[in-house]
Amino acid sequence: MAYPSTQTDDLKPYCEKLSVLPEGGVSFLMMENLRLPAGCQPAMCDALLCPVAKDGYPSRLYLSVQVASTYTRNWNCSNARIGERNWFAFSWRVDLPNPTLPQLLIAHLNGFAKEK
Amino acid sequence: MVPDCKQTENDNQELEIDLREFAERGEAVPHAGVYRVRIDDETVKVHTPCPTGEELLQKVGKRPCGFELIAEFYHHHENSVIEPEEKVDLRQHGLKGFITAQKEIVTIFINDKPYHIERGQRTVAEILSKVGQTPEGYILMEEKDGPPLPLPPNLPVKICGCETFHTQAQSGGSS
Repeated sequence: MAYPSTQTDDLKPYCEKLSVLPEGGVSFLMMENLRLPAGCQPAMCDALLCPVAKDGYPSRLYLSVQVASTYTRNWNCSNARIGERNWFAFSWRVDLPNPTLPQLLIAHLNGFAKEK
Repeated sequence: MVPDCKQTENDNQELEIDLREFAERGEAVPHAGVYRVRIDDETVKVHTPCPTGEELLQKVGKRPCGFELIAEFYHHHENSVIEPEEKVDLRQHGLKGFITAQKEIVTIFINDKPYHIERGQRTVAEILSKVGQTPEGYILMEEKDGPPLPLPPNLPVKICGCETFHTQAQSGGSS
């Protein structure tokens, strides 16, 4: 699946390197050293944005580490194996009708900045 | 008074003069190609006799959203605040330079529009209220040294002036 270049271009400033990782019929967006919101520890880590439905969620953001943040999150996905690496994700459902990729990323990152 | 900003044919474009020296000597400042102007602790070169306040602030890396510019005269009682769009006559008698001062009420930008707010630690709710929004309905994102990132509503936001924010409807939740 190809993503609109205007949208992928807008994602690039959020990380040091953006690439597409195709696996299992899904085109994950691999973001190296993704910047995380204030209050996160670490302040950046690698991430995989899955803009399509997976694991019962309309979209998902996988992270290379379990990030400590202002609010405690339910990390219900540990060591998911994608692209020969282990990934973590917390329970966060984003219900946006036709979001752009940056809007989707922001909505997932807001999981670190929102209480519930 | 509208400043006389016209350059004449006799203007000496090669001439570079120091405003402070003329102010201290009480002499009239001639037309010149370059005016050396003291702003705070820096001496900058200005190539027009009538720059705007904003142009002078830019010379020292500051913006009107966070700072005001004050013209300093040899006689202190003449000191005056220069508005960003106001043209200053560098040749006016006794002008020895400028100082900048951090504003108490600064300008921030939310969704590309300017809003005034008090400098210091502000809450996400206070900032969102400027655009009639609340943390329950909207994410506040700050564009700081990179793309906009969400701000947690329970942490204070440091406002110095000129900060850039964006908002996006809340759309996620723990499940």
